[in-house]
Amino acid sequence: MSILQVKGLVAGYEPGLSIVKGASIQADEREIVVILGPNGAGKSSLIKAVAGLVPVTGGQVLLDGRDITHGAAHLRVRQGLAFVPQTENIFPLMTVDENLRVAGGVLARCEVQGRIDETYVMFPDLARQRRLAAGSLSGGQRQMLAVGRALIVHPRVLMLDEPSAGLSPKFVEMVFARLGEIRRAGLTIVLVEQNARAALAIGDRAYVLVEGREAHEGRAATLWDDPVVAELYLGQRRSA
Amino acid sequence: MTLQFIADGLISGSLIGLGAIGITLTYSILRFSNFAHGDLMAWGAYGTLAVVGGIGEVVGGAAPIGALSFGWPLILAALAGMVMTACLALLLDWLLFARLREKGQSIIVVMASFGASMALRSLLEFIFSSSPAYYSRGIQMAMPIGFGIRITPDQIVLLGVTVVLVTAMHLFMSRSQTGREMRAYSQNPALARVVGIDVSGVVRATWIIGAALACAAGVMVGILVQIRPLMGLDLLLPMFAAAILGGIGSVPGAVLGGLIIGLSEAAAVQLIGAEWRSAVAFGILMAVLLVRPVGLFGRAER
Repeated sequence: MSILQVKGLVAGYEPGLSIVKGASIQADEREIVVILGPNGAGKSSLIKAVAGLVPVTGGQVLLDGRDITHGAAHLRVRQGLAFVPQTENIFPLMTVDENLRVAGGVLARCEVQGRIDETYVMFPDLARQRRLAAGSLSGGQRQMLAVGRALIVHPRVLMLDEPSAGLSPKFVEMVFARLGEIRRAGLTIVLVEQNARAALAIGDRAYVLVEGREAHEGRAATLWDDPVVAELYLGQRRSA
Repeated sequence: MTLQFIADGLISGSLIGLGAIGITLTYSILRFSNFAHGDLMAWGAYGTLAVVGGIGEVVGGAAPIGALSFGWPLILAALAGMVMTACLALLLDWLLFARLREKGQSIIVVMASFGASMALRSLLEFIFSSSPAYYSRGIQMAMPIGFGIRITPDQIVLLGVTVVLVTAMHLFMSRSQTGREMRAYSQNPALARVVGIDVSGVVRATWIIGAALACAAGVMVGILVQIRPLMGLDLLLPMFAAAILGGIGSVPGAVLGGLIIGLSEAAAVQLIGAEWRSAVAFGILMAVLLVRPVGLFGRAER
């Protein structure tokens, strides 16, 4: 059953200047959905619009059947939709612990410490650096902190914008391994990624976005060899 | 040369610091320089004066507490004044600043704060006249405390009140969920929204805290000096200098900045003459902006 449905979404930062031009995607429970596409296709804008950060001028976003199209971003988090931006995804002047704790405002007060402890079990690196300013973490650790913070609120859908961007191959492997674990724990993941091969390796389904709308959809395992996709997007990359 | 300027500087510096907390929070969270902040201070002082008058009418005059120049009615009235000033700030935000913030141009909000400042000041003059007013007309004798320094009981108590308010403020910002949310929002508003922070709650908290502390500072100025419609305007430059010197967004920085400005002004009065007092805050402001624009406690984000 679809937990996240995006129907004909039109969104953009400036009135009359849409970046997302009628995109439709859906994600089922416990599924990893990958959104691929060339630079400037509107992938990041699409999930930012779903998260409530880009003004929507048309279409619908349904979370578990409920229309959240025009809800405030912080309310979407409370409804179970978490988002990890590509850059500037931590509060650098706050400690690691404070970064996690500030997201716990959505939870009952008695629940917060337990969730933080669970996060430290999942990301032991963060536990060791809990009192350090988050701005002093390495790129990979920052990404872990951002993912850990998003998970604090028990989301049903976790959306990530290029989590592998700027990371070393070792950290990319670690991030994608963690995403696999998170899915196995019962979450739905929507992943925008330039690193197509790594994303398709853990994904279930994938969309290729071109010029603000989905141009192709298929199973992640077979998408890599799909000639239509090769023509739309992957051709240059694979021949490279 | 006597060391009296240290006591004078600490007292005026703590008042400047209290006011600067509101300025630094407004600047870092709401992203604009609120030039009406000094007038919130004056409105707080006058609001408290009105409530003291009201209490006096109902229960009669109350005796001062110990050696102080004021009694319990002023303390109760100051608490009421803090609530009223917070309500005034929320009203201003709802009527004016929130609508302009939505348009996304902070310079328009800054210009609106100039307008609000003039309107608030003129309203005070209209309601209360421009003549100075006092909470008490009693004269306090300053006590010698050594090293040639003399200080009044009011000054000692108000320094203590400032320490308590600043400590409470620091604990609130570092330990409470609302304080963390305010700091998070000041660092990255978009990220704050996607971690579930209610922006309107953060905005409300910023106005309430800034206005309540402005009122506290205004009442203290009223107790130690006098109450005038221009009292907030006079303190505006030192408060901005303190906020920038301490580092925008830093509560301890604003207080330390206030103390440095206060001490420098008091030293300037003693060493080079009272006419140079205002120039000191301006000089420090310029020096900080040129040498260390992020201030003492400000840090460039990485």
